[in-house]
Amino acid sequence: MKIAVAGKGGSGKTTISGTLARLWARDGRDVLALDADTNPMLGITLGLGPEETDLVLGVRQGLDTGETEHAPSVDEMIETFGRDAPDDVRLVVASRIDQIDPG
Amino acid sequence: MRLAVAGKGGSGKSFVAGTLARVLARQGRRVLVLDSDPMPGLGISLGMGPMADDMLAGAVERGEDDRWRLRKGIGAARAVQQFSATGPDGVRLLQFGKPDHDGLGPIMGSLNGFTQVVHRLARDGVLAGWTIIGDLPAGPRQTAYNWAPYAERFLVVVEPTWQSVLTGRRVSRLAAARGTAGVAVVVNKVRDAADVEFVGAEVGMAPLAAVPADPTVRDADRSGVAPIDAAPGAPAVVAVRDLADRLTEPAGTVAGPNSEGAAT
Repeated sequence: MKIAVAGKGGSGKTTISGTLARLWARDGRDVLALDADTNPMLGITLGLGPEETDLVLGVRQGLDTGETEHAPSVDEMIETFGRDAPDDVRLVVASRIDQIDPG
Repeated sequence: MRLAVAGKGGSGKSFVAGTLARVLARQGRRVLVLDSDPMPGLGISLGMGPMADDMLAGAVERGEDDRWRLRKGIGAARAVQQFSATGPDGVRLLQFGKPDHDGLGPIMGSLNGFTQVVHRLARDGVLAGWTIIGDLPAGPRQTAYNWAPYAERFLVVVEPTWQSVLTGRRVSRLAAARGTAGVAVVVNKVRDAADVEFVGAEVGMAPLAAVPADPTVRDADRSGVAPIDAAPGAPAVVAVRDLADRLTEPAGTVAGPNSEGAAT
């Protein structure tokens, strides 16, 4: 099962996504929670806490800073850049905007 | 005065930007509001009717290099004069456009025109006396990518939740990093003084204003009416009026809200 959650800012996308992920993980499913927002907050509703949520590395930033030498597979990206959240949900942040564009 | 309003989705950026624009216009200022959000929202907060999806299409043409450029004779002031929509209290609105089911394709001309106008606003002498308020879409992207080069100050709207605080902290840092604008925090949906303290402590600056949680804002949205028209005396609207006063005070006298004000 693969689900994408969308809607207006503040409507509750992240709350619904994070809670669904936790519930399904508790049912025994392997859950990958993909935060595709460049302002990634899914860690908060998964239960990682604000400090940890603010530190999860974006895959894109991880690749850019050369943490891996070759183009990694999806599994390797999940392994390298993902982070375990409660109930063994695996959280992966796609990209995080953290710097101004100098151009 | 030239402002950009930024923050997390749902924090109340459009409410603050739209209401502030109306308040300042009523004080006799010429106000231009810039909407660079591809999603709807600001029009309702301002109390404006339907408008063109590609407002600035007529301002641009394609050059020999196939790039969009402003048509001859059209600078920032002319673009405002000729292509902006006029709303209640004489507020002028420029928006880059709203995509339909075909995506951004049909509004690419308007979007390019908007971008070029926005980059000329601050240097246009005709607009020197104008109040300019940009309502940025949710999150840090447009702040990071210099979509508000006109801004002398970023108003970062934050509600008392961690998601909103982390976003507000990031947007504040990005806005300050360019070194061209000041940053102020507006706390929205405040229930008590602890809410204001939480945001101030975690974003790392004393809030410039605290706007109370106020169901009339949502009710106004549901009725399709601007909050300032639906309930001019509502606590949230009154708080934005106070914010307007604080923003127009002479430099150096700006103070934060007191705790009593925050608690109401």
